[in-house]
Amino acid sequence: MDNSIYLFAAFSITWTVIFLYIFRLFRSQKALNSQINEIKKTLQENIEMKERHS
Amino acid sequence: MKRTQTLWIPFQLLTYVLMLAALYAIFFFAPVEKTMGVIQKIFYIHVPAAFLAYLAFFITFMASILYLYRKDSKWDTVAHCAVETGVIFCTIVLITGPIWAKPVWNVWWTWDPRLTTTLILWFTYVAYLMLRRSVKENQRANLSAVFGIIGFINVPITFFSIRLWRTIHPVIITSRGINMSWPMKLSLLITFIAFCFLFFSVLISRIRLEQLKMRIEEINDTMDDMNIGLAQKLVKGI
Repeated sequence: MDNSIYLFAAFSITWTVIFLYIFRLFRSQKALNSQINEIKKTLQENIEMKERHS
Repeated sequence: MKRTQTLWIPFQLLTYVLMLAALYAIFFFAPVEKTMGVIQKIFYIHVPAAFLAYLAFFITFMASILYLYRKDSKWDTVAHCAVETGVIFCTIVLITGPIWAKPVWNVWWTWDPRLTTTLILWFTYVAYLMLRRSVKENQRANLSAVFGIIGFINVPITFFSIRLWRTIHPVIITSRGINMSWPMKLSLLITFIAFCFLFFSVLISRIRLEQLKMRIEEINDTMDDMNIGLAQKLVKGI
């Protein structure tokens, strides 16, 4: 009885689930990095605006 | 902080090496079981995944108690992230189990006590995640902590289900130890250590991500207040 196909399915699905979750974490990390850049940009604009009005 | 960051990269590399060692142990070192054949090798991912799902829910249980006792949002974050990681590992258990059952029991699913209690466990913690998304922010942490404590009741029920009720699910850990040959035991140990590293790697990443998200939200709120203040100053200046 060759059950290799079941073994292959079990391992492939397990690794797919783990990689999809890690990919989701990676995407969240990327989104947070772009938010940090946005904050930096806004801060820079605020500093420049303050300097112009002082 | 710097020391943690320095240790983080070797930890991740070690996880990677251990996962490769685990795959080698499963496919080249562990012998093929006589009755079930190669399909028995699913055991090496099914059992560690189940144990780590229980561990994740235990972390949630402890973190929920600590949150209710200390009211520190850090414990709420730990509880939430542990549930998410636990659900991932519980999903792996629920997928690999039926794939193993089909050629051995000739059915994908049966309402056996262990299978049923594991499914209930999975639904319980999926409900936890759904609850967090649906309640207001000021109630979220308290309600989640209560849910995290009550939901843990399912874990011992699931673990002892094969001892409490008549079941077709095999009992691996008995009072006489683990009922396997030593190459199988060693392979299980290697896989178990590798999965533990993977689990903590994913869990720590998730916690760090959540903490960063919270910090950004705090900064955004402060910046909104600063912008209002600055606008008021400018209006006064005009």
